[in-house]
Amino acid sequence: MIGFALLAILAGVLVSLSRQINGRLALSTSAMESSFWNHIVGLCFITVVAVLAGGLFAGAPEQSPWWAYLGGPVGVIFIAAGSWLIARIGAAQTALLIIAGQMVFGVLLDVWLGAPGNLWARIIGVALILAGMWVSRTGRS
Amino acid sequence: MSQSAQPPHMIHFAAAFGAGGLLSLMVLFNGTLAAYGSLFFASWVPHLTGTVAALVCLAIMRPKRAKAARPPLWVYLGGVSGAVTVMLTSATLNSALALSGTIALGLAGQMVFSLFADTRGLFGLPQRTPTARDYVSLALITAGSLILIFFGSAT
Repeated sequence: MIGFALLAILAGVLVSLSRQINGRLALSTSAMESSFWNHIVGLCFITVVAVLAGGLFAGAPEQSPWWAYLGGPVGVIFIAAGSWLIARIGAAQTALLIIAGQMVFGVLLDVWLGAPGNLWARIIGVALILAGMWVSRTGRS
Repeated sequence: MSQSAQPPHMIHFAAAFGAGGLLSLMVLFNGTLAAYGSLFFASWVPHLTGTVAALVCLAIMRPKRAKAARPPLWVYLGGVSGAVTVMLTSATLNSALALSGTIALGLAGQMVFSLFADTRGLFGLPQRTPTARDYVSLALITAGSLILIFFGSAT
């Protein structure tokens, strides 16, 4: 259990590490080129690991809805945005505002898709996040 | 290269919040792929289509390179770190941590390491010292996120 907890924390650390490295690449090139390298290097790495481990095409991937395949192009914009932002507002602000957006839009998606959930928890959670975003905006000269 | 800890410009603020919205879409799309195929497939496909999409974007936008000098080779390895993340989370998702524990601990690791990186100016990025206001904002957004993660959904 402790081992899995450490792995989950490490996964978060690697998200930030990846954004910093991509941000450094964007400083030398451009945000979009950084996003390209992130995807092609990640693709090569996953391909090697998947070939070694096997089971890449296990299950019934051909049955998934067509829109599930749109994650790649969306990810290109996401990685480019992160690479562009991190040199401008820092790693912590970038991470915090992305998390805020992910949570708030996640609730909107859940409501739209009709996913069950606790209404009050959603209201209080979103309110706290919006309050945190408001605080981060105050005091700008 | 130390920056004053000014709150972000509106454009940066909105871009980061919007990027978070894109991330929630990616979680939905890639998670749906994983429900039908393997976890490798759910990460392999978006990397493949993303590579093609990024090439198309580069061909259309033709962004200028910021510096003529070649950067060090390690800056090209961000994608490896991102791919390992997927493998780690696929392991913890199936443990007692489940989805909520995986997300919550991941957010904690991401925030702590980001704050550490900012204060040190790691990897050639600008050094920044977080202010008291940054920590208040961090506490509120973290609290709201934890409530959503643990109480907001039926899982």
